[in-house]
Amino acid sequence: MSPRAVAQWAIEYLLLWGLAFGLALGVAAWVGDAGWDALPGWLAGRIGWLPSIVGAAGLLMVAVAPVWRYRVHRWEVSSDVVYTRTGWFSREWLLVPVGRIQTVDSKQGLIERMLGLATIEVNTASHTGSSEVSGLPVAVATRLAEDLAHRAHDLRDDAT
Amino acid sequence: MTARLHPLTFVVGAVRELLALIAAGATGLLVGGLSTAFYFTLVGLAFGLLFHVASWVTFTYVLHEDRIEFRRALIGRSVKTIPRDRIRGVDISASLPHRLLGLAVVHIDAGADGGEGELNAVSLAEAERLRGVLLARDAPVPPQRALGRMRRRWYLYAPLSGAYLLTPFALAGSLLGTVYNLGDDLGLITRERVESLGHDVVGLPTVLVLVLVILMLIAMPVMSVIAFTLFNWDFTVRERDGSVVAERGLLTRRSVSLERRRLRGVELADNPFERAAGVTRLGALITGLGDAAQRGRLLPAAPRAAAEALAARVVGNVPGPLTAHPPAARSRRVVRAVAPPAGVAALAVLAGQPWVAGACAAVAVLAVPLGLDRYRQLGHATDGERLTVRSGSLRRRQVVVEHSAVIGWRVRQTLFQRRLGLATLFAALGAGDGGCSATDMSEEGAVALAAAITPAWLDPFLDGPPGAGAEPTRAGGHRT
Repeated sequence: MSPRAVAQWAIEYLLLWGLAFGLALGVAAWVGDAGWDALPGWLAGRIGWLPSIVGAAGLLMVAVAPVWRYRVHRWEVSSDVVYTRTGWFSREWLLVPVGRIQTVDSKQGLIERMLGLATIEVNTASHTGSSEVSGLPVAVATRLAEDLAHRAHDLRDDAT
Repeated sequence: MTARLHPLTFVVGAVRELLALIAAGATGLLVGGLSTAFYFTLVGLAFGLLFHVASWVTFTYVLHEDRIEFRRALIGRSVKTIPRDRIRGVDISASLPHRLLGLAVVHIDAGADGGEGELNAVSLAEAERLRGVLLARDAPVPPQRALGRMRRRWYLYAPLSGAYLLTPFALAGSLLGTVYNLGDDLGLITRERVESLGHDVVGLPTVLVLVLVILMLIAMPVMSVIAFTLFNWDFTVRERDGSVVAERGLLTRRSVSLERRRLRGVELADNPFERAAGVTRLGALITGLGDAAQRGRLLPAAPRAAAEALAARVVGNVPGPLTAHPPAARSRRVVRAVAPPAGVAALAVLAGQPWVAGACAAVAVLAVPLGLDRYRQLGHATDGERLTVRSGSLRRRQVVVEHSAVIGWRVRQTLFQRRLGLATLFAALGAGDGGCSATDMSEEGAVALAAAITPAWLDPFLDGPPGAGAEPTRAGGHRT
């Protein structure tokens, strides 16, 4: 996994939590103006705290989650099995034998393009057995996708 | 030899239109006024009849030495050809109107590459003749073998499943809806009439309403048995030419062919009521067929022993006894059952809603036995060829799959599971809803189970020998 993946995830979290922060600001302003009675008094009085809480949580996420994820995420392709480990809060290990792979896609989003990264999607006949490896350098991703697709083709029967 | 469908075919096609015509005519006469909408309905019916007659005249089928052709020349001309050596199955079915007229629908199935054709409808004798001719090959047709059949008594299990309990309401609803729409089309429904009807209903004496409610309650299980019997009458599972064929239905006979080649396993499902009565439902997990409960149904309700016997004939013996999951899983099941209602109760207390809080607290207390039962139902086992996992309480599922059907493993561990040393193992399958899961196994147990079933996939990634402190499983089951 490329260390630039950390930057990618940080940017993604920043965008997401920035949006949440904006929403929280809007909600707080709206509730403050409308003087809505349905909320108990103690909550209505402190609605101004909502944006600060969301902002703090967002900062924490942006600072911690990408590094944590980078430490957890691993992938490995042995002779005939693809192995990935993903997640940060909950972890997932996935083992898919190459002979059971149906399609291998490699794709790039906007942020990934700026950072020169790519994501590989390994699809099998089952949703449970399909996985994504993100944050790979483009060259590695392309090579891996082609390699896997070829080997899957050589090994496959009907892959179910 | 060019042949047409049976001349009475259009009668069957038009039966629904005729019924609608009779109903509309009767309603129109009752009210005594024929509105424009009624004449429009009549014209529509006439067109419908004309269409049925025209499609009968223009459709022909020809049986050649090597193929069967369907020609249609209504608007465009189309010829559909099915090579006879591709024909895999010929199914004959008949709905109630078909049977009354001595007709049958012939369905010709030629697999994925040959397509399929339907003759709707020919006489029963012609249908039998076609089946005989089309299926006669050089090799004699392998005889059918009955795998399982519903007993009469089992139809009484219908109310347990709950699925058919609402039949009276559905019937009453659709009847009312039809009457309302019909009346609305004919201009019978006015504001005053609806209001006066509403007043009449409100004005009914309490005793009458009570009697109606009690009648409805009695009707629920009775109607559910009737509806269940209609759909599943003489439910028979046969083995025929590489397929498992399930036939069912009283008025309309339905037969579903499930190819053996694509059969990956079976699923036993039940709810607490069915469990108490020792009843279970059996479905097949078929590649490319997501819906094990409906299309892949092998037994809609049967005593557990009978269901397991049929499962054994279809995929092989159900492995057992199941290995229980570690005790740490029990507290996790209970917490997960109790947490949502308890959380809502806490929020309700904060928001000053004592009634909501009380109700949620009661639900939370009831969730404790639910969580305990969920833990009791967790289990897994393997006998060297088949893997089985079980989970759920209100809807318990036990999946039995062949080892060779597993196309990947996924192990998931949340932060909480990590603290308790638990992990959930998912076996990815190319059939059913994509996989089955063994929830909250011990960490080593999950890895050991996966390693026992597919050693070749896991060994490169395991540091030591697999299965330290493992489940009582036997290794085996390589992918062939």
